[in-house]
Amino acid sequence: MITFEHVSRRYRDRLALDSVSWHMSEGECVVFAGPSGAGKTTLLRLITHEIAPTSGTVTVGTFRGARLPRAKRALLRRTLGIIYEDFRLLNDRTVFENVALAVRITGHFADTEVVPRTLYALEEAGLQQKQAAYPSELSAGEKQRAAIARAIVNRPAVVLADEPTGALEPASAKEIIALLRRIHDEGAALVMVTTRLDVAEALGGRILRLDDGRLAADAAPAPSPYAPRELGPGPPAAAPAPGA
Amino acid sequence: MHLYFLREAWRSFRHHPGLAWTAMISLTATLLLCGIFLLLTHNAQSAVRFIGDRREMVVYLRDEVTAEQRDALIARLTELYGTAAYVSREQAWEEFSQQVGDPQLLQAVDQNPLPASLRVRLRPELLNYPAMEQAAKQVSQFPEVEDVRYGGEWVRRLDELQATLARGSLVVGVAVALAILLVIYNTIRLTVMARRREVEIMIRLGASDRFIATPFALEALAQTLASALAALGLLFTLEQFAVQQVVHVTFLPPAWIATFLGGAALLAWAAAALALARTLRSAGP
Repeated sequence: MITFEHVSRRYRDRLALDSVSWHMSEGECVVFAGPSGAGKTTLLRLITHEIAPTSGTVTVGTFRGARLPRAKRALLRRTLGIIYEDFRLLNDRTVFENVALAVRITGHFADTEVVPRTLYALEEAGLQQKQAAYPSELSAGEKQRAAIARAIVNRPAVVLADEPTGALEPASAKEIIALLRRIHDEGAALVMVTTRLDVAEALGGRILRLDDGRLAADAAPAPSPYAPRELGPGPPAAAPAPGA
Repeated sequence: MHLYFLREAWRSFRHHPGLAWTAMISLTATLLLCGIFLLLTHNAQSAVRFIGDRREMVVYLRDEVTAEQRDALIARLTELYGTAAYVSREQAWEEFSQQVGDPQLLQAVDQNPLPASLRVRLRPELLNYPAMEQAAKQVSQFPEVEDVRYGGEWVRRLDELQATLARGSLVVGVAVALAILLVIYNTIRLTVMARRREVEIMIRLGASDRFIATPFALEALAQTLASALAALGLLFTLEQFAVQQVVHVTFLPPAWIATFLGGAALLAWAAAALALARTLRSAGP
């Protein structure tokens, strides 16, 4: 499903990722944990082809290559569901319109199909009561739920989550992790990056530690079904990689 | 989906009314300038066509030409140059008398000095100076012909006036086209920049360029068409004012109005496509 083969990415004189190789299969859950600047977001941006690797090959489904043409990049992103730490909602549109936008972007659905699909995703995210609200009227947790509804509305094979609890207080973070876990249980592959090891452990799945651009450790794959741990209120745990 | 694009175009207009109105005012002024020139060109062309229709060649006949020779010449001229009509000496005197009007002056002339003539209404393709000069030279070679007159200098000036109008139309047309391209191009760039975050999010969600660009292009098209209609309205008001105050001016015919609107819309679409192709490439990851 997603394969990195000796992928490096350099920003001027800084090596953000250093010959990283990993693979995930369909329906798998992988969490990249590591401190800020470890290369986690770079890794996600490589998956979405926002940036190209300096060396190595990134394969996402049938999309393979260093730098895809613009139209193919758009096509690739339509097959993914992406959740950002800062939500990236359109402030001049209601929650419903934000989610419906992702459906319209695919270009596959008539206006009559957009509404039921959007309502279903909102219901999944527990936001049907807030569908007419604007992002400015929502709490941080609700905004993230709206972003998750937008990410899953097209039933993507892979959901990417970039520090989805980073801007949330513990109670909301817990709800978001539970929601992501449910989405994964329903069949979607999930790639999450986080600085918090407790969040990574709470989600369950395979935990890969990134440190200073290197894949430091691959935690033993959790047995399936996952046995997620309870999310604690502790501070971000940027565990240093052993031997890094 | 089409309704969605229209709604998005309207949303963009509502969210950036200042930008939209500035663009529309600039476009209306530019298109009005173009409209004024079109109106002048149309009226000048109508006048030239009216005068041009009367451009005829007068072929004076020798006194000794017989009726048979005259008829043969008429047939030959009609075949080669256009419709020829015979004007006898008496008819010529009659016309001359009516033009002069003063009987005392006419009595001073002993006998009718005017020759019989043929008035040739030239074919449209011969209504220009070089062709008329050539035709006059050829006709003067016929043995029945005494002289040929066609107002060469006057015809040459008329042709020059028409050529100047055509050149002027081209120059103003190109200038206005460039102005429209520039206004639309910059307006779209500013609009995309003002909505950069939104565009960037759409790109991250996998929106195609067409999906993002269509509402912007529709907005530009609507603004240009509204500006073109406003310019036509102002032009009509000016024309009515001119009719009341100065001279008779006719408004643009429907075909010209359709071309004006169609041309403006086409330019708007081209400018939007150009601007969006460049701007979207730099707008997102």
